[in-house]
Amino acid sequence: MSNNTLDTNRPISEIDDEQLPVPKHRLHGPIHFLGLYAAEHVAATEFVIGAAFVALGATIQDILIGLLIGNTLAMLSFWLITAPIAVKTRLSLYTYLDQNMGEKFSRFYNGANVLIFVVISAAMITVSATAVRVLFDIPPQIYPYPSNIAFAAIAASASIIAVVVAYYGFKVLSEFASICAPWLMVMFTTGGMVLIPALNESLTGYTTLGGFSDFVDLAGTAVFTGINAEGEPGIGLWEVIGFAWAANTFAHFGLIDMALLRYAKKSVYGLSTGTGMMFGHYVAWISAALMGAATAAMMKTSIAVVSPGDVAYYALGATGFVIVIVAGWTTANSNLYRAGLAAQAVFPQVSRQKVTLIVGAAVVIGSCFPVIYRNILPLLTYAGLLLVPIGGIVFAEQRLFPKLGYKTYWFKLIGLKDNTPALTTWAVSLVFGFGLDFLNVIPFYYLFIPTWFVSIIVYTVLAKKAGANGSYPEAEQREEAFAQKVEKHHAELAIQESQPHIKDTSMLTKGIRAVWIVVGLIVPAVLAWRVLFNSPDLYEYYVNREMFYDLTIWCTIIYFVFAWWDLQRSKALNKAHA
Amino acid sequence: MIPIYKSVLFSSIGLALSCASSLAQAKTTVTIATVNNSDMKRMQILSESFTATNPDIKLNWVTLDENTLRQRVTTDIATKGGQFDVLTIGTYEVPLWAKQNWLVSLDSLPESYNTGDILPAIREGLSFDGKLYAAPFYGESSFTMYRKDLFEQAQLEMPSAPTWAFIKKAAAAITDRSKDTYGICLRGKAGWGENIALLTAMSNSYGARWFDENWKPQLDSEAWASTVNDYLDLLTQYGPPDATANGYNENLALFKAGKCGIWVDSTAAASTITDDKQSSVAANVGFALAPDNGLGKRSNWLWSWALAVSSSSKHEEAAKKFVAWATSDVYTQLVAGKEGWAHVPPGTRNSLYRNPSYLAAAPFSPIILASIQAADPNQPTVDKVPYTGIQFVAIPEFQSIGNAVGQRIAKALDGDITADEALANAQWVTEKVIERARFIGEK
Repeated sequence: MSNNTLDTNRPISEIDDEQLPVPKHRLHGPIHFLGLYAAEHVAATEFVIGAAFVALGATIQDILIGLLIGNTLAMLSFWLITAPIAVKTRLSLYTYLDQNMGEKFSRFYNGANVLIFVVISAAMITVSATAVRVLFDIPPQIYPYPSNIAFAAIAASASIIAVVVAYYGFKVLSEFASICAPWLMVMFTTGGMVLIPALNESLTGYTTLGGFSDFVDLAGTAVFTGINAEGEPGIGLWEVIGFAWAANTFAHFGLIDMALLRYAKKSVYGLSTGTGMMFGHYVAWISAALMGAATAAMMKTSIAVVSPGDVAYYALGATGFVIVIVAGWTTANSNLYRAGLAAQAVFPQVSRQKVTLIVGAAVVIGSCFPVIYRNILPLLTYAGLLLVPIGGIVFAEQRLFPKLGYKTYWFKLIGLKDNTPALTTWAVSLVFGFGLDFLNVIPFYYLFIPTWFVSIIVYTVLAKKAGANGSYPEAEQREEAFAQKVEKHHAELAIQESQPHIKDTSMLTKGIRAVWIVVGLIVPAVLAWRVLFNSPDLYEYYVNREMFYDLTIWCTIIYFVFAWWDLQRSKALNKAHA
Repeated sequence: MIPIYKSVLFSSIGLALSCASSLAQAKTTVTIATVNNSDMKRMQILSESFTATNPDIKLNWVTLDENTLRQRVTTDIATKGGQFDVLTIGTYEVPLWAKQNWLVSLDSLPESYNTGDILPAIREGLSFDGKLYAAPFYGESSFTMYRKDLFEQAQLEMPSAPTWAFIKKAAAAITDRSKDTYGICLRGKAGWGENIALLTAMSNSYGARWFDENWKPQLDSEAWASTVNDYLDLLTQYGPPDATANGYNENLALFKAGKCGIWVDSTAAASTITDDKQSSVAANVGFALAPDNGLGKRSNWLWSWALAVSSSSKHEEAAKKFVAWATSDVYTQLVAGKEGWAHVPPGTRNSLYRNPSYLAAAPFSPIILASIQAADPNQPTVDKVPYTGIQFVAIPEFQSIGNAVGQRIAKALDGDITADEALANAQWVTEKVIERARFIGEK
């Protein structure tokens, strides 16, 4: 009898949907994923990561080529590693581990998630707090620790509010986050456009560029200089490729994005992650870096200590405060929620309130320390290293075991309490990966590759010893019967849920949509275009920029009001037809 | 088979040796960015003499108008583009760029170059921390050039040190639009080195200044309003049409063609407008000091077009060699021999003004020397200022401020906005830049 949380003897209608594979009728086509990934990867972290590449001292050539290669590798990883497993199992990684790795493994996994999500939440709240800092004229926080009590108070207050909102108003904020993506994309792009003339002027005294080669020269001199924040030669092409590839390791090699890609009709839709990689991790990173460098040039300070609040204010005026707070908070919200869920799974006997309080307290303390958000790129890389062995274990079970004649679901078939080979593999892989890091054998952003291979090899060997190559006809029959029950259940669900998604085609909705698209997105883009291409001198630049600042904040307000209205009308319509 | 291998082997060795040999003889290409005025064009033609004695050096010329040159050169050097080895820049850029380590010091020029012979004001303007960073090709001030025949017809006599009020009166008397004769030509083309150079020098004589001692912009002052109003009146009432298209070169062409009664501009124009091969009015040109307004400051400036070597140049030694040649006595002698003493680059060396041949060929030289010597970049204005520079303010921000203000004044000259609007815009943009600069300074 298996010891996992899925009791196959229970009536299937009583089993939580999350515990079952995604039914066929709920699968999505490629357009869904193109939009989803474009939205997922334009967040407050981009402000920080873009500036991090500047502080690490990459050259413009390495950035243009390295980010392209690194993000292409990330996209291929989603396509060739994550998507096939997600499409085959139709489960989230959390559920997969819960059913195939035993309780202890799940607890450790959730513990690691608590740590990662707390760190990301704290970093994103600090990002929001940097915008509030500018509003209250609090000095920049240039040290790893809070150097001003007012800043610590702001960061702590923002954390408390964020935790309370995540606890009580997660759904509303999630809905709000869902309408932010197009606006965030436009703002990231326009912010860079608006500051390019200022960056050029600060260096050459002229606001216009002769062409793309001038832009490359400018970016190479003022942004991606090849010299790091300590004044030494910076990272090279291999490092840029590694960072770009590793920034999302926990999502692709670590398989966290099985949660999203399990809804894909075909594994080739893994290529849809390209929108997130090529926009969020290419255009937005470069744009954020340009904004950061221009701000640093204007403030005559190091980009390593320029805060996202300063950057957004200089690039986007009042809208900058909104973007940093919105991007920071919406990113923190989902991560706080995930941290809370993971923490509850680690301590199931402790009440939800207490768990939330403990997680919240950790976030409050973490958010006061600027060192966390400034190191988000290496932290994400190490987070990836922590979770990559799990991806390796699942990859071995799903892709390698069938080829070797082993049982993919051997743990379920045997009915063990804990998946000791998996626990041991994870431990060995972490010792291996962090050991290599300690010995400084290879750069830390490439550690995930050997660690992943080690986890596959170790797990294959240990699982074989534990009986993965055995024969369990009775258990297999039981699993087959359960699979048939699930299929029947899904067929019934498909009939119940046959109501197609209703598209609101009323004139009012079309009008509302036209307003948020034109006023909220196109107008700021056109204004930014004028700033970049129609500012022959500094006077014209300032006039155009002031107009951009003054109008974009109103466009932003109109965007959110109308996009929210559109969303609520669409929801109400579908609810009425349900 | 062996002979074939041998043949291939020997051919390869031969090819490699031939490549190595041609590489050894390859010429070093020095790229020179320069301005398209007549002195620089002359240098380009005469540079054959340099390449004849330096066969290992090839010169690649990029000749541009003043505004384009400034933007191209500034962008290239600031972004370390490395397009140019030798740059034609002036007394505004040299100290600022040297401070940024963008230029190679020229302290190691041979003794025969005789750096001590360079006029002190020019040498100081091209130095930073006591080191010379650019070699002066020619030095200039500004003065008043006028048509003696038109003055006679109008029964006027140009004073040796005129006032702006007299200039206005004379311009009014001379103007005859039916004959395409315009009382006055002044720089109208927008740019910190074009209309702003003239206006800043002019404003000094009106008691105006860019900043007070606390760096507060002063473009909204009465003195600036008087300057700009008079400038606009002069050009709109007595100037040529489309004045915003006219910079130094365009006005030079107009004067040579006999269309300007008065021209207040660079002393470097003297040799061209008095050369009967180039100028239709050569016999009737007179010179006077730059106008003043009775406040103790004339509107004469100080400038030198100089040659500097970019620190991102990959051919530093060859570039230095060329710079030394083009600004040396040898070049002066070459020009004198080929084109006459009147055409040698003026305003850089003391020895030139002791040379009887030059003094005889260039009767205007004493007034030029007097104008250069009278220009004091350290005390450019009637009231005290925190900056140096006569027709510019020697701060990095001036280039962008000057270009922006130049555009506003040009718009006023075109009649798109009023003088008051232009100055209000100018004050606004200057305040914004200085606010930022002060913010940076306080950081």
